[in-house]
Amino acid sequence: DEDSDDGTTRDLRAIPLPMALKRAVNFGGGVQSYFLFLRFLVVLNFFSFLLIAGFVIIPSIVFRSVGFIEYTYLFYGYYNNTMVEGMNFSYNIPLAYLSTAAFYLLFCLVCIIAMGTTARVVVATGDSSEGNYSMLVFTGWDFGSNGNQATKLKQQNIYYRLQVDLEEEMIKKKSSALTQRQKVCLYSARVVLFTLTLGFIGAALTGIFFATNFSQGLLYEYLPSIVITGANFIVPLLNDQIAPFEQYSPSVTVVLALLAVVLRLVSLVILLYTLWRQITCDETPDECALCCWETRVGQEMYKLTLFDLIVNIAVLMLVEFPRRMIVDNWHNKLTQWVGRQEFVVPYNVLGLVYGQTVVWTGAFFCPLLPLINTFKFIILFYTKRITLFSNCRPAVKTFRSTTSSFFFSGILLLGLTLASVVMIYSVAIHPSMACGPFRFLTSMWDVVPKSISKLSQTTREFLFFLGSQSFSIPLFVLSLILCYIVALATVYKKSVTLLKTQLKLDKQFLVRQIGRL
Amino acid sequence: MGTTASQLGKDTLSEYQELTFLTKQEILLAHKRFSELLTKDEKDIPNIRISLERILTLPELKSNPFRKRICHVFSTSEHKDGSLTFEDFLDLLSAFSDSATMEIKSHYAFRIFDFDDDGTLDSDDLQKLVNCLTGETDETRLTPEEMRQLITNILEESDIDKDGTVNLSEFQHVISRSPDFVSSFKIVL
Repeated sequence: DEDSDDGTTRDLRAIPLPMALKRAVNFGGGVQSYFLFLRFLVVLNFFSFLLIAGFVIIPSIVFRSVGFIEYTYLFYGYYNNTMVEGMNFSYNIPLAYLSTAAFYLLFCLVCIIAMGTTARVVVATGDSSEGNYSMLVFTGWDFGSNGNQATKLKQQNIYYRLQVDLEEEMIKKKSSALTQRQKVCLYSARVVLFTLTLGFIGAALTGIFFATNFSQGLLYEYLPSIVITGANFIVPLLNDQIAPFEQYSPSVTVVLALLAVVLRLVSLVILLYTLWRQITCDETPDECALCCWETRVGQEMYKLTLFDLIVNIAVLMLVEFPRRMIVDNWHNKLTQWVGRQEFVVPYNVLGLVYGQTVVWTGAFFCPLLPLINTFKFIILFYTKRITLFSNCRPAVKTFRSTTSSFFFSGILLLGLTLASVVMIYSVAIHPSMACGPFRFLTSMWDVVPKSISKLSQTTREFLFFLGSQSFSIPLFVLSLILCYIVALATVYKKSVTLLKTQLKLDKQFLVRQIGRL
Repeated sequence: MGTTASQLGKDTLSEYQELTFLTKQEILLAHKRFSELLTKDEKDIPNIRISLERILTLPELKSNPFRKRICHVFSTSEHKDGSLTFEDFLDLLSAFSDSATMEIKSHYAFRIFDFDDDGTLDSDDLQKLVNCLTGETDETRLTPEEMRQLITNILEESDIDKDGTVNLSEFQHVISRSPDFVSSFKIVL
């Protein structure tokens, strides 16, 4: 439910959200889109876990055969490579493992596309901002709400909604009224900003690269987090200073947020690259230095996930709470200028996307990771909520909600692609000899042709046909287009019904006016 | 047709039920709450009029930014001081009740928003209305430019005959498009 994207007023009581989210609506700044996105991710992770549990973990527990390596269920190394037979059916654990992983990624892809398409379609059809202002002003007040607190919240909410739309209008007017000279200034400023950003990214990459060569593991794990946290602190300050400059150019916040994405994903890529180097160098089976590389990768992703959670909580306790206490209790010019923390939605969302990407990369090697991630995101939800209401001041600029859903889906898709690349690569290379469901095979993919060859002739031919390029690719493309068209049609249908009702009311009004003349 | 605060006769009760949108229980509850605002001596005076300040101590009205306007609109006092008799109070609750029609509610909403009582909503009225809605604290005050822009937009959207003000039928036309108006224009004791 978006609060400023349609013309009708919103009765907070009628919104089927828990109180915490409703209060976030009043906080302004599009904050509720962050919490809704977080909730979506929690649900996604939980259902992924159910999928994996149902097809891989529980059969493994049920059909255990004795005598294999004692790792925990957490990591890949534990799972059996046997096909379990008994009681009239056979359950091929390696095949289940591989197909569940593939299906899991596909499932996430479908969810993201569904979320993104709805948002995209809403953006495409435009928002019904006709009569927006007068509707809000004349019908916006809820006379039934009692108490000073509720009244103040409602007043703030109305103020933010008005201000967002008015500001956008004024910016549009100003930018269309620029003189030639001002346009030149604007474009050159944009070019400068872009070059600076590229330069900064380059510097950061070089720094990280040197850091990985000097110290193994520790520094480059900490460095991006330190940089991100520092940026989270400083950028809102800079934002307010650059405000006049900001009026003409796309938000500095967005550019810096993109920077944060790149930094975080790059650090992940570098970690993977280091692991890859270790894997391909130490391939000799008797050396066995990286004996069970899949488990190692899973462990790294698991550590990253936990570390991310710890960093978030630590920042909360060591940075945001103290900042609030200092600003509230110690009044001088410096603290007034610094002010309370602002809850900047893009950063926090990108943090979520980073965490989810790590989980997707690691889920193949650490099947319980989605469950761990569900709990992590739940903890994050409540801690972020606490910090929002205790430590933050309301955002001055609102993050537009409909375009943001589309933006979030896009970034999430990027993370999913990275994870898919990792998984496809792992499936193609030689699995480790000593552990996991795919030992003794030349590659993980081998289990599929082997299983298919056991099926009957007709089934085999049918499956080959389904898998062939001439069938599957057009099918995939067609279904994407179909999804989009169906979503578009639903939205159009709603618009048409709405317009018909409004037309009827207009006709009645005009007839009344004529009757008066 | 006077009612003392001590009791409500059966005839008057049924008469009130006919003249307002309120149910019997709502009228009795209103009577009880109204009596609680009176001092001991006042309870025997028929048609007693309670001052604006005392009415505003009711929790349902206390924090409403439109409280003074509401009382002024429903007051039948010749001094225009916003004081209410019990019957004025019932009129108020009737207009804000669950069962009141859209026409009644929009009529009274219009009168409440018409700060200068001249029968139309001009720019000053709209400005005061917006200030009530946003609260006029330092954090929630619109700049003069924004206010001007907002009022221009409102007039552009709702002033159909382009006379610079919003009259009752134009107002009701805007209201009729909103599905939530009836449920938000409600005060229940």
